[in-house]
Amino acid sequence: MFNLDYSWLADPVYQGWLIRGTLTTIELAFASSAIAFVIGLFGALALTLRIAWLDAVIELFVEVFRNTPPLLQMLFFYFTLSTVGLRMTDPATGVSVPLLSAFACALISLSLFGGALCIEAFRSGLDSLPRAVTEAARSLGYSRWQRFRRIEAPIASRICLPALTNIMTNQFKTTSQASVITVPELMYYAGQIYNDTFRTAEVMILVLFIYVSLVSLLSWGMVRIERVLAFPGYGKGA
Amino acid sequence: MKTSILTIASSLLLALGLSAASADTLADVKSKGTLTIGVKNDYPPYGFLNDKGEIVGFEVDLGKYVAKELLGPDGKVELVPVVAANRIEFLNSGRIDIILATLGVTAERGKVIDFSEYYVSAPGPSILAPKTATFAKWEDLKGQTLCGIQGSYFNKHLTEAFGINLTNFKTQPEAYRALKDNRCVGFAFDDMTLRKKTEEADWADYKIAIDPYEYIPQAAGIRKDDVAFRDAVNKAILKAEAEGKLVEWETTYGMPHAKYIAERAEAAKAKLKP
Repeated sequence: MFNLDYSWLADPVYQGWLIRGTLTTIELAFASSAIAFVIGLFGALALTLRIAWLDAVIELFVEVFRNTPPLLQMLFFYFTLSTVGLRMTDPATGVSVPLLSAFACALISLSLFGGALCIEAFRSGLDSLPRAVTEAARSLGYSRWQRFRRIEAPIASRICLPALTNIMTNQFKTTSQASVITVPELMYYAGQIYNDTFRTAEVMILVLFIYVSLVSLLSWGMVRIERVLAFPGYGKGA
Repeated sequence: MKTSILTIASSLLLALGLSAASADTLADVKSKGTLTIGVKNDYPPYGFLNDKGEIVGFEVDLGKYVAKELLGPDGKVELVPVVAANRIEFLNSGRIDIILATLGVTAERGKVIDFSEYYVSAPGPSILAPKTATFAKWEDLKGQTLCGIQGSYFNKHLTEAFGINLTNFKTQPEAYRALKDNRCVGFAFDDMTLRKKTEEADWADYKIAIDPYEYIPQAAGIRKDDVAFRDAVNKAILKAEAEGKLVEWETTYGMPHAKYIAERAEAAKAKLKP
């Protein structure tokens, strides 16, 4: 019944495509996760300052980028921004070309999408700090910044690690949508391969396996980090 | 009549003797009274939407003709829009009975499906580019970035043989948009479609910069070893050719009259002469 034919894997062209596609997927996932992490950190930090207009700006950012599909954002960045004038002149040919490459558009969209989720994750971590902890720090004479650096951030970051793992695995899987704007990642090449060979099931099984391996590796790494950072009374240290 | 009994009998033998799983589409289609055809709906002149939103075109008319031949004058057709990326899956999973959707005959495809008579000889890919483009040969494109469509059969060849850097989109409108945006120096796609595009006012500044490097016969796609059905379809196609229907449809859909189709019409006429 399962008459799987993997002879196409012997073709060096397809091997090259799969490797290049996997690397692009990893690159996009890690780069966008890193930027999302920074956005989340600064966003959540800014929220603790309790400045009304800043809160409104951040909330708007979160609402817009968390509540729109990343696919739509990518298409918007890719097709719309260049049309409304985000262009440059190619020094080699003198032709006006779009400023943002497909990869850049996907990276920006995934970073902003992940960033919005990260802000929420960090905020929930900060919010879940027991009030008594903050009050104890305050009564010991910690300044606002010291309190954040020495008390709040260390506890909050540990609390939101599982949520961060979720966001990162999500980033990994969402990269597959970038094939729509021609980013040559794993799904982009997979589609071409099964179109050439008609071995749809075989290609899908292999791609599934690659994604599962990558994401499992990632969550394994994150669990290790959780373990290392664990302290008594919270999460893995309990 | 004699031949059809023969073919049914031989296909039965084949079905019983060789492969129990072999489909008998002809019987299925006859029992439901409808031929389910996978057609293009974005690909003039072969299959496209008219002003009323109906799917029409050269291959759609051919499909309707085949259905009438197979099922009689009351035969119904169900048109299922397909794209290059899913048509073979649709056929082999049973969602459609036959592919009439600009299906080029290639050896790779021949491994998973069967082909009918080759009713059209379609040019392969050409390059649509701005009139200012300086390249004129496929070899000139080495290392250049060209727009394409994901899943096109020639993508691998263009990458491998000519060293073209392809940026492939899901659909044609996206690729045209990207070409106008200068995301690529040209659009590598089926010659027939691109030539039609150059006739549009919006595309007056563009030309077919490079002609196709090959011609590929186009045929209907049929499930593997579905012999009775394939024979019936072939008979219908030959009859349509002999009656000059294909030449007629070329006129209807504004296609240049191809030598290939005219020659096949003559041959079919000679063959079917009593």
